[in-house]
Amino acid sequence: MGVDYQYVIEGFITAIQPANILWVIIGGFLGTVVGMLPGLGPATAVAVLIPVTFGMEPTSALILMAAIYYGAMYGGSRSSILLNTPGDGSAIAAAFDGYPMTKKGQAGQALTISAIASLIGGLFAIIGFIILAKPLAAFALKFGPAEYFLLFLFTLSAIVSLSIGNMVKGFISMSIGLILSTVGVDLQSGVHRFTFNIPQLSEGIDFLIVIIGIYAVGEVFYNYMSLDRIKKEKKKVGTKWITKEQWKQSKWPIIRNGPIGFLIGVLPGAGGSIASMLSYTTEKQLSKHPEKFGKGAIEGLAAPESSNNAASVGAFIPLLTMGVPGSGTTAVILGAVVMLGLKPGPLLFENNPEMVWTLVDSMFIGNIFLVILNILLVGLLVRILDTPPKILYPLILVLAFIGTYTLSYSVIDFYILVIFGVIGLMMKLLNFPVAPLILAIIVGSDMEQSFRKSLVAHDSFVNVLVASPVTIALVILTILSICYPFFIGWLRRRKQSRA
Amino acid sequence: MRKFFGIMLLLLVMVIAGCSSDEKAGGEASFPSDNIEIIAPATPGGGWDATARSMQKVFSDNGIIEENMNVVNKPGGGGEVGWQYLKKQDAHHIAINSSLVITNNILGQSELTHKDFTPLAILTTEWNAVTVAPDSKFETGAEIMEQLKKDPTSLKIAVAPSLGNDDHLSFVQAAQEFGVDVTKLQFMIYESGGDVLTAMLGGHVDVATSSVSEFKEQHLAGKVKMVAVTSEKPIKGLEDIPTWKEQGVDMVFPHWRGVMGPPDMTEEEIAYWDDKIGKLVETDAWKEILKNNEWESYYMDSTETKKFLEEQTKKYEELLNVSGLTE
Repeated sequence: MGVDYQYVIEGFITAIQPANILWVIIGGFLGTVVGMLPGLGPATAVAVLIPVTFGMEPTSALILMAAIYYGAMYGGSRSSILLNTPGDGSAIAAAFDGYPMTKKGQAGQALTISAIASLIGGLFAIIGFIILAKPLAAFALKFGPAEYFLLFLFTLSAIVSLSIGNMVKGFISMSIGLILSTVGVDLQSGVHRFTFNIPQLSEGIDFLIVIIGIYAVGEVFYNYMSLDRIKKEKKKVGTKWITKEQWKQSKWPIIRNGPIGFLIGVLPGAGGSIASMLSYTTEKQLSKHPEKFGKGAIEGLAAPESSNNAASVGAFIPLLTMGVPGSGTTAVILGAVVMLGLKPGPLLFENNPEMVWTLVDSMFIGNIFLVILNILLVGLLVRILDTPPKILYPLILVLAFIGTYTLSYSVIDFYILVIFGVIGLMMKLLNFPVAPLILAIIVGSDMEQSFRKSLVAHDSFVNVLVASPVTIALVILTILSICYPFFIGWLRRRKQSRA
Repeated sequence: MRKFFGIMLLLLVMVIAGCSSDEKAGGEASFPSDNIEIIAPATPGGGWDATARSMQKVFSDNGIIEENMNVVNKPGGGGEVGWQYLKKQDAHHIAINSSLVITNNILGQSELTHKDFTPLAILTTEWNAVTVAPDSKFETGAEIMEQLKKDPTSLKIAVAPSLGNDDHLSFVQAAQEFGVDVTKLQFMIYESGGDVLTAMLGGHVDVATSSVSEFKEQHLAGKVKMVAVTSEKPIKGLEDIPTWKEQGVDMVFPHWRGVMGPPDMTEEEIAYWDDKIGKLVETDAWKEILKNNEWESYYMDSTETKKFLEEQTKKYEELLNVSGLTE
């Protein structure tokens, strides 16, 4: 193993210098705040800070930007849990069970467990980084178009098959998502699809707008329908201390999903959103009582939270070892780092090992700071729930519009936002699962492009399926996940017929 | 709770203040009479954005421009959104451009051409490179072309982010000089230069064409092998890589970036920008930025730029035609 522990320790000494600790704290705090606001994500925050980093020590700049990134992983789930409006793409899965927990009066505990899960996931990933950075980078490179196509296919099949009892609706929801993901320029042919000569549509519909529309705006619409009926009762928020029973339920999901998220994060192109979704579905499939998922199961919150934070650390592996960004935010960080005169790539580890390890060690400090910050904030944040709806909902709408505008500074996105708000409302009223649609929009375009590239590379569809051990494993997993609900149904029927 | 809303409100005010467009000043006062706006027609993180932010920084840090300056990102449509926006502004607004301002129109993706704007300068260029795996049997670009001449479908070539851009066309032009049937080439189109690099490192493609900066670190580390560059002379730090010229192809292919202003600028306004940009490119801070980004200075003033854009338009029309992308 090529790990030089001397550098790891030296890096730690640099990382605990007061100035660097200060940057970690500033970055972590900023990240938490932008993470909470829908639409305003870490990518925007880092981009805005690029001019500030110009005058900084490159190491400090990297520490600051990284802290914003994983800080947002902590912050993003706050608004998912409290308001059902994910602050960021990777916080969607936190809404699935986090919001139901809030409705059950467990908001405090939900916020606490998600912070703890993030911490443990993050620590797992940091240790993984220290031990495995180089071999993992080599493994990630082996992911070609065929592997990506099947990974995305597996993710989609998992989420559809999990809409138990609702598979048809889940399938329809996914199909709509896939259709929407075809909007924009098709990379392989250069053809503009469904863009109606609107140049803003040429890059497709940003999935963040869809998320903000369906969750934030849709949720506001839904609540407005019953605004006058909402009683003035003070909502219960409960304690922030989790019970022993809750810890027992979340312990294994947290531990299992840290490594899953880390691995997904390492793959260039996949990121926190896919990691957290995949963790949620994995946990649901492993659970003895999947019917509790979506109704406030604490493990359904803990798993994706552990996973997305681990993914944010994992995303630094391709960035630092190959100079390839693994997510939108790391792409912006890469741009900023290059402006500082650093060249992420295979030579970085050899030429500036102390910098790499200082960064990794600062993540360790940052995660511990963030969990303290976020647990301290619980008391303050749950008071949002006391806000009268007539004030809270307009405020959410304002934030949703601002967040949307910052994505590409275009007013056309406002129309898309409102349309998806209405779609979100309809889906809620007709009881359609939202997750398959969102996931389809996130992976749809990449899945299609990977599929077409893999056809060029492997000549026929069958060759794509058996291109490598990874593809074969993914094909088997996909088949298993599609068969899973039928198998469960068969078991249940057999039980009933015996009874 | 109050505090929380207080923070939210403050943020909101800040964001709105940051986004609101500048009020138009009277216009009688001498130019510039208002804040300056540099338009990056792309999201933060890419070359256009980096160019815009570097200009902003050097202009203000070196006291070249005293007025307030903002960079605005207007991404979409390969520059279309940002340039449409520029068209409706006054001379306080300038936008970054590249060959896309020419090729979008030829490819029928835009109504705009460089003639709809006032060319101000060409600033920088990058050079393109052709790369193969370190253990590839190809040692030079010419060998690749010889094989493609025999069978144009035998190699998978990675390019990003679309056909018809410089990375693609520089390869097409070289191939055409060798007599390859360029319409049959097997291109795999990736989303970004980073993805092209990943595909190359993972061995998923045989050949990759992208900018030199994308491959340089990996080449020096021995992870990929650069076999041809599009520059006039060998590139500093990569002297062992032969140019296409040295391989017998009469071709120099810059991947330039420049700036342009809205249509109908006055002589005075053009002179102002010629003066300021002329000073910009002479500063050490600017040279340092070029070095860090692996860009090369390619400075031309407004008059030279106008002529240069005319020549480039002819070149791209011809290349897009032979590559089979236009009739």
